[in-house]
Amino acid sequence: MKRIAAGLLAVLVLLVISAAGPAGVAAQPKEVVIGVLYPMSGPNAQPGIDNKPVIEIGADIANGAVDLPFPFYQKLKGMPGLKGAKIRLIFADHQGKPELGQAEAERLITQEKVHALVGCWHSGVTATASQVAERYGIPFLNPESSSPGLTRRGLKWFFRTSPHDEHFTQGMFEFFRDFEKKRGVKIATAGLTYDTSLFGADSGKVMKDLAKKYGVEVVLDLQYKERSTSLQSEVQRLKAANPDVWMPTSYQTDAILFVRTSKQLDYNPKMIMAQNAGHLSPDFIKAVGKEAEGTLSRAPFSTDLIAKRPVAAALNALYMKRHSKDLYDFPARSFTGFMTLLDAINRAGSTDPEAIRKALVATSIPGDQLIMTWEGIKFDETGQNTQVRAIIVQLQEGKYHTVWPWDSATREVLYPIPAWADRK
Amino acid sequence: MAPAGTLRPVLTRGLLLAGLLAALAFPAVFTLPFPRHVMIMIFLYGALATAWNIIAGYCGQISLGQAVFFGIGAYTSSLLFRDAGMTPWAGMIAGVALAVGVSQVVGYPVFRLRGHYFAIATIAVGEIVQALVVDWDAIGGARGVFVPIRRPDSLVNFQFHQSKAFYYYIALGLLLLALAVTRRIERSRAGYYFRAIREDQDAAAALGVNVRREKLRALAVSAALTAMGGTFYAQYILFIDPESVFPLSLSILICLVAVLGGVGTLWGPVLGAAVLVPLQEGTRVMLGGTGKALDLLIYGALIIAISVFQPGGLMALLARARTAGSAR
Repeated sequence: MKRIAAGLLAVLVLLVISAAGPAGVAAQPKEVVIGVLYPMSGPNAQPGIDNKPVIEIGADIANGAVDLPFPFYQKLKGMPGLKGAKIRLIFADHQGKPELGQAEAERLITQEKVHALVGCWHSGVTATASQVAERYGIPFLNPESSSPGLTRRGLKWFFRTSPHDEHFTQGMFEFFRDFEKKRGVKIATAGLTYDTSLFGADSGKVMKDLAKKYGVEVVLDLQYKERSTSLQSEVQRLKAANPDVWMPTSYQTDAILFVRTSKQLDYNPKMIMAQNAGHLSPDFIKAVGKEAEGTLSRAPFSTDLIAKRPVAAALNALYMKRHSKDLYDFPARSFTGFMTLLDAINRAGSTDPEAIRKALVATSIPGDQLIMTWEGIKFDETGQNTQVRAIIVQLQEGKYHTVWPWDSATREVLYPIPAWADRK
Repeated sequence: MAPAGTLRPVLTRGLLLAGLLAALAFPAVFTLPFPRHVMIMIFLYGALATAWNIIAGYCGQISLGQAVFFGIGAYTSSLLFRDAGMTPWAGMIAGVALAVGVSQVVGYPVFRLRGHYFAIATIAVGEIVQALVVDWDAIGGARGVFVPIRRPDSLVNFQFHQSKAFYYYIALGLLLLALAVTRRIERSRAGYYFRAIREDQDAAAALGVNVRREKLRALAVSAALTAMGGTFYAQYILFIDPESVFPLSLSILICLVAVLGGVGTLWGPVLGAAVLVPLQEGTRVMLGGTGKALDLLIYGALIIAISVFQPGGLMALLARARTAGSAR
């Protein structure tokens, strides 16, 4: 009995201590605490592991430990808006699971007292974690999830800097228009092939909707079975329809088989516009990189841009030093989102959530200061960045190069793709 | 029961009462959401493992497809709530009905298999159902379902945004229900049939036990309780997708919790959840942000240690301590 009483007493003492917590908030905050939610373990951990160093670089820039000599980043140095308050990061792992995203967001907000949250890569996790932020009224910045629905939930505290899936496809059709103007050719008909997966089905639907909007006639609308052993009949039908542009959506194995079958059956499309995925995978390039010469695809960021954009080159040098890896799509987008948040906090001049939210709403960052090739960052009332722009890349001499938008291009568009008979 | 005279039952009962009171008082003492969340997860996984224990622990049929029933419970109530505005409580009943129906349809052929083959077949069923849901566009496919947020908090809508206390008590209620059902089965005729089947199916059949019918009954009870857990999860997390409510890893985790605590005992699954969930949450909170997966390493090592040194689970460990105590 005595022991139980002692135990109870100990528990009570602990409770009192934990309930007291840190004392009240000072008028001028000394630090800004930001919770960063990414997958750090498990099968989908790569994005989290690659994004962590770039977020740390971002915090170091604001804390004055690292220099990125461009006006937008110089402005954030030492967080002048908060009189030199330091940025403190708390990383949390959600393993790609929506329920962990929710629990961690809640813990970061209520126990670590974060002033804002950044994350979470996986659309499903972003969905649950941002709901928690909404509930507690804490700004949530999402740099990369691509599910269009995320910004259609009517949330007040949710902001997304990255394009979503519909923007990407729109980029392809805008490219057609620009290309018609520039080269005086006509892209009036399209042939769509996509598989039965969710990604394929979604892509097919968006492409059909946008084709109608942009006045491109769909002369072939072909859904095929994923991971087929033969694509002969599909290629025959493409050949018969002979569209101005062939728009495939495929995972890797099908993408490779399509190229081989086209060669076999002598199908010579003038233009191929792929929906990312299989056509951009390293194994695709390895297997049929030479045969697939001239394949176009949409992409959010391309490594060849690093050389062309001084900001990206400078950041890449910092990233390389810390992580021994070139900057690519994921860290590039993550950094962009994180710096957007820091900019808002700096302008808010306070860690008050409502002040940060208002500053985020008023965000206006010019495109030339960004790592990404966007026109800038400005949020609409749903929290979606409206200044996003997809880029189009083309496979030339075994490597993807940026060919559109014209001002970001590192190569000219190869058109038409040489016929099989004319290749050596 | 151990030979300790009449004192033991009284003691046990007192201990249980104290535990129950502590559980009831917990939210009043811990007001931060995170400790409450950990307790809710203990109750939820405790209830799921208790449900699994009925089919696997008592009846001896190792099911590795429990996620099917969990997912059905989650999807049924969420879709009825979203599309028909039906309160998730009614959706929970619908989910239970559907899960029981599916358990009977699937169980009928699958129960022809025994032992490992049965376990393998349940894995296959789980994978098939997950694949179907991923490709089923009408119910959201791989994108999942957002449970619409309704304010203010209400019991009818099964949503509480201001405080986790309601979720806490509902989860506790779910666990108590699962325990009560198990207790009832343990002492009923069906409970003896179940255990007879577990010990020797052919002998049970020879004694006149309708083996298939009893197995189907055990599975139905297990499926019903698991589906209720699914509805709770959906209302608690407010977002479900096939990857979070239908995965094989969930079926295995349920099994792991029960095995760790002690299979075929009333309190084993609860004990397993009470150890495993805080361990998982604790290691992740302390080490998860490092990106080195240390938390998972420690978590895995502890599970291996327990299964190597005490394959009977924590209940066996307790029983051993008890017999050692009374022998002295």
